[in-house]
Amino acid sequence: MIESEKLADAPVERTASDGDGRVVLSARDVVVRYGGVVAVDGVSFDVKAGEAVGLIGPNGAGKSTMLASLGGQAKAAGGSILLDGRDVTKLSAYRRARLGLLRTFQSTSEFGDMTTFENLVTAGNGFKGASLTSVVFHRKENSRSDREIAGRAWEMLERFDMTHVANAYAKELSGGQRRLVEIMRCLMTSPKLLLLDEPMVGVAPHLVEKLVGDLCAIRDEGISIIIVEHALEVVRALSNRVVVMSFGKKIADAPYDEIVNNREVQDAYLG
Amino acid sequence: MGAWEFYITTLLVYFAIDVLSAYSLNLQFGFGGIINLSYIIFQAIGAYVAASVSLGPDTGANAFQTYLFGASLPFPLPLILATLAGAVLALVIGSFGLRRMRKDYQAAVLLIVSLIAWQVVSSDTHLFNGSNGVTGVGRPLGTTLPLSSLGYQWIYVVWTLVICAVVYLLVRWLSVSPWGRALRAMRDQEDAAISLGINVTALRLQVFVIGGAIAGLSGGLLVEYIGAWSPGAWGYAETFVILTAMFVGGNRNYKGVVLGTLLVPILFLELPRFLPPFGYPGLIDSLEWVVIGLMWMASLLIRPQGIIPEKRNLVYAGNFDGVLRGRSMSKLSLRRTQKAEAK
Repeated sequence: MIESEKLADAPVERTASDGDGRVVLSARDVVVRYGGVVAVDGVSFDVKAGEAVGLIGPNGAGKSTMLASLGGQAKAAGGSILLDGRDVTKLSAYRRARLGLLRTFQSTSEFGDMTTFENLVTAGNGFKGASLTSVVFHRKENSRSDREIAGRAWEMLERFDMTHVANAYAKELSGGQRRLVEIMRCLMTSPKLLLLDEPMVGVAPHLVEKLVGDLCAIRDEGISIIIVEHALEVVRALSNRVVVMSFGKKIADAPYDEIVNNREVQDAYLG
Repeated sequence: MGAWEFYITTLLVYFAIDVLSAYSLNLQFGFGGIINLSYIIFQAIGAYVAASVSLGPDTGANAFQTYLFGASLPFPLPLILATLAGAVLALVIGSFGLRRMRKDYQAAVLLIVSLIAWQVVSSDTHLFNGSNGVTGVGRPLGTTLPLSSLGYQWIYVVWTLVICAVVYLLVRWLSVSPWGRALRAMRDQEDAAISLGINVTALRLQVFVIGGAIAGLSGGLLVEYIGAWSPGAWGYAETFVILTAMFVGGNRNYKGVVLGTLLVPILFLELPRFLPPFGYPGLIDSLEWVVIGLMWMASLLIRPQGIIPEKRNLVYAGNFDGVLRGRSMSKLSLRRTQKAEAK
């Protein structure tokens, strides 16, 4: 709690707040249905390069479903999703990932029986290096790029202060370290946009601040972030803008400080 | 001595063929996470195809049996076609059996496919002579090589062991390649693998087809050795023997599956031959199946990683190359590195 309070009190700095103004992701009237239930009902918003957008709302508001529809895990029944101006609505999840739209999951999703280092290298190989044809027909090229990827993976471990667990199986790591592995894995693919689904779940309270700092640094490098998170102090510290959802609809889209004073948002949260 | 030598060489051939099966299943399950309960049908189609393309047409001397694709192709074409047949069947079955569904459902679908295939091939005499199967398959180069019967036995042992070694190099190379890492990623966390851009549908089908090809090859080698093949040789339970070997020895580790093959289908299934007979006829055979099941369960309960577990690939600054080729450091060099780092 103490750490959370520290976060809440910290001055909010946004060095790359508006990025270069280029829209990376654009959601237009997205609708997702589960049977008869409309989980996401015509939600639209844009995310610019280097911008972090918090996606908040009470339980059952449709935040995770919205994230899943952006990532390609849930099929959009209506509307469209544009990534760098390209319509990706019909593309499957792995194809969107190849275009730079990466996501993490609510429950940690490290490759448990691989070491931390292997987790990173696997992501770094990407889809080209890991294809069977590439492995069989481009061996020399592959071996060169493998060394380069390994070097990058090591740098990544150094950057996030994780070299001491390079050889640990990912399943042996703490909750916070697993989150970092997921995030580092995404970064290995040089993403344009990260979709983070409650990244602070399972992270020890004293590590939350560090993780938020790391995410801010990633944002400031120009990588856009959409974060679904219940810990509002995290959203405040990281996000340039907050999109609030309630009952599947977007009810507000503004900077954090404006959102907290918004009557409709207060009503949605308090019922 | 001759009988013993014959027995030992036969065991060695079976061992090599079972090791091929274990490699195939290990690549599919140990690395790819696919529980292929239909493994034996891929070996079976390899055997049937190798048999029928070397038997000649099913007329004249072969008029007592009916089978598809009757031809007299020279060595090694029947083996190549057997390998291809395994791969093609895997492609067909994999394209519907490996769709995105829970792994236990996939396993159930594959087991059912195995049961249906056995029933169809046993009942329809036009495919491969029904439950009587095909017989009279000549040994490859059997008439060309100037060898005694025992001499040929040893040549066949060497031949199967060479194929085993080649397949080992292939599967090992594949499993430590970036493709193999993607496979392990899919095994550990499919959704996360997808979200990193890995096309798991294609990956699963690829590993299934490679495994199917190895199974087809093993079937071809087997039928060219024993000379006959019938549904009695490929009941669904045969898959479980190899799976048990894999789990006991250590799935995810190629040395482990070789050890498991030595322990389960060779040592364990051969030992009863040396026991004094007891009970009613067939009791020992039935008990073998019971004990195979118990061994599998015991290994899952006591040591799920098997006798030789998966090797952890260790990395230290500067030894990336070793890790990328799936080599883990020996304890000795690890200690040396740690000492050097401490200094």
